[in-house]
Amino acid sequence: MKRRAFLKSLAATGVAASVTGSGVLTREAEAKKKVDFGEVKSVKVDVLSETSWFDNTKFKKNLVDYGGAMTNQYTIPWDWDNAGGYMALVTVTELDGKERKILLDTGWNNEWVDYIYEMNNIPAMLKSGEIECMVISHYHLDHYWGIESTLKHNPDITIYGPATHFPEDMQLLKGAHLTAKDKKGKEHHICKNDVPHTGKLVECNPKGDKGDGIYRLMPGVAVRNFDVPILLRVRGENVLYFNVKDKGTVTVTGCCHPGVLSLFSYARKNFKGYQPYGCYGGLHITLFETWDPKFDDIIRGVKSFKIQKLACNHCTGWIWAEKAAAAGVPVVKGTDKYKTYKKQSTVATASNAFLTNGDFIVF
Amino acid sequence: MKANTFSENRFNYLLGLASTVGVFCIVWFLWYVFMHPDGILRLYTPMYGFSLVVVFFSALLLIKDIFEFYPFTISNPSDQNVLTRGILSTIAAVLIMSFLFYIVFWGFFGKFGITYFSPYSIIAAGSQGAEIWNAREISSKAILYFFTAFLWITITWNIGFGRWPWHRCDRGVLVWSRLFTILFFVIIAYTVLFHPNVCHLFYPAQVNAGVESWWMSFADTGSAFFSLGLLLCALFWAITSDLLWEGYPWRFLAKKDEGSLLKGVGTFIVTTVLGIIMLMVLLKIMNYFWDEPFMGGQYTDGPDFRFLHAGEISGFLILSVFILKNYFNNFPNTKFLALNAVIRTLIVIGGGVLFHLFYYSNATVLILGKVPGIAQPADAPLVWIILFLSMIVVHIDFFDGWPLKKSKGNDSNG
Repeated sequence: MKRRAFLKSLAATGVAASVTGSGVLTREAEAKKKVDFGEVKSVKVDVLSETSWFDNTKFKKNLVDYGGAMTNQYTIPWDWDNAGGYMALVTVTELDGKERKILLDTGWNNEWVDYIYEMNNIPAMLKSGEIECMVISHYHLDHYWGIESTLKHNPDITIYGPATHFPEDMQLLKGAHLTAKDKKGKEHHICKNDVPHTGKLVECNPKGDKGDGIYRLMPGVAVRNFDVPILLRVRGENVLYFNVKDKGTVTVTGCCHPGVLSLFSYARKNFKGYQPYGCYGGLHITLFETWDPKFDDIIRGVKSFKIQKLACNHCTGWIWAEKAAAAGVPVVKGTDKYKTYKKQSTVATASNAFLTNGDFIVF
Repeated sequence: MKANTFSENRFNYLLGLASTVGVFCIVWFLWYVFMHPDGILRLYTPMYGFSLVVVFFSALLLIKDIFEFYPFTISNPSDQNVLTRGILSTIAAVLIMSFLFYIVFWGFFGKFGITYFSPYSIIAAGSQGAEIWNAREISSKAILYFFTAFLWITITWNIGFGRWPWHRCDRGVLVWSRLFTILFFVIIAYTVLFHPNVCHLFYPAQVNAGVESWWMSFADTGSAFFSLGLLLCALFWAITSDLLWEGYPWRFLAKKDEGSLLKGVGTFIVTTVLGIIMLMVLLKIMNYFWDEPFMGGQYTDGPDFRFLHAGEISGFLILSVFILKNYFNNFPNTKFLALNAVIRTLIVIGGGVLFHLFYYSNATVLILGKVPGIAQPADAPLVWIILFLSMIVVHIDFFDGWPLKKSKGNDSNG
């Protein structure tokens, strides 16, 4: 066996067992043939809700009390009143001017998700099929546990979810009431779904639908699955890529656990005609508004990647967004519309560095 | 570290294997009690559990390498006494760990000197994100870094300087002098290699207390994982030369097995240089698999992760060294030391690869409760590695290999 093949086989045994087909072995191979997945005229993202929870302190207390970041999310009796959810409506304008809609994620607390959906006419769009499909970025509680709120309007909707799900994730999709015990042994409701999914579930993995790393949703729109380990015993994240004509690559993410620069790095290596342009979503940097020098590294990195429009929220961290804007990163500012909602995040500031609930961006 | 005392034909490798499996099971049990996300105490946050394990390992080395069990005498006890000694020494290590962690760092340094050593002082200072979970993670990280410097200096000092220059003094003078000298160098190492990073774990950064990480320009990261990776790579060479190469080449630099100034300085310089080379080689290998990292990259794309992972790989290798030396009689034992050294080193590299494969396999999802995959920011393989190393040290040095190795005038483990 040649040295190169031997080294690869070592990695294949251990790492690829977990990182199925991604990163280690396939990047180089994938980079050799760049993928062309078409173009769109423009992309609009409406921020339905980026407030997954409203009080960081309460959320973190739940997390710490039940074992920290590596704990299985289904074993924690989360504070229901603190739960919100993350979801975004993506409207794609094709080159011929036709508009098509995709729902990204489905939130957490059903009451909050229903409230947001009603406010944005989502139920009608789901019922009519105007929203063609839903992309589940990953199976975190705040992106997925509100699944019933979507399925009750269209149980037949096509879903693109990471293939790396755990049994509870599929239980919930098929219909279940899940509970978790508190320290006194008392059961608490954590999530439920009374409307089983009857549509197609596309289980995304890093190989893609044609073996070239992506799933083609429509011309110029692709889903890429990054098989990364994520806190709270979750694995794998789907990311939406758009190739906007005359502008460049845009990423739309739920939490962006793989890292925003890794997404652009992937596009640079794998997409034909790559030009960095913009990103929207949670960027998973300083989730709990704390600091680490590596967050400064990300600011420097974003500048070096020459991203033109950076619209962030959710798990990005307000302090990162503010610091990035101050350092010259083109952070797209939000408005005060979120203040008209019945609940707001306790960490929101007057800087409007987040694109928050009720805002939108067009790429 | 003990010299190799077992003869090839008397060593029972089956019992060595049984010991390895036994210690592995004890580590598994302890992991469930202290660390497992669904376990009892759930200390794997991960920095809190990480720092406690590192301080515990440091306490073991403090007892056996710096104090050499002072003020007690080292004898060849009976089986019953071995058990008693093992239990008492282990209890002492736990007490020392608790004293250092909660009294010295949280209660004294953190309260009366350096804010970031105590979570309660961080909260009292009231900066951004100053709540108990984050504050405890920061103070744990700082303590972890301090004791990483301690482990590096202590282990390398012991190999190079040994008892020099107090070898003619009585034990009390020797151990206390050595302790304070080591601490002196630990403070220097910590201040230069870790303190700048810890000062920047706050918002705004504590720029008047610590400079910006000086390695940022060439390491592409301000993270102190750079220093952590470097020290662990250097430690691999120190431990390998001491245990697998039976003290060579350092033994050329001093008479008999004594330490000396030349030997000590030589050991520090050469193992550091070898550590730097190893770090660079490991980074190249990672580049081969994951491409070049870039500033701001996360997971496997992050330069900070690459440095940390180099340290983690060193950890897997060090674990293999400990197992080969202590449970497999430093196989092989031919007449040719150079040949032995080469084969042992190759075995250890193979063992390190196997441990790496095991840790990142799906088996640990069940055993350790970890999320499958590599580079999860909350996943710290060094915790499991150091817990394993600690249990080997406890078994071999405190319990004298009991019950599988009989101690009554018999130098084999059968």
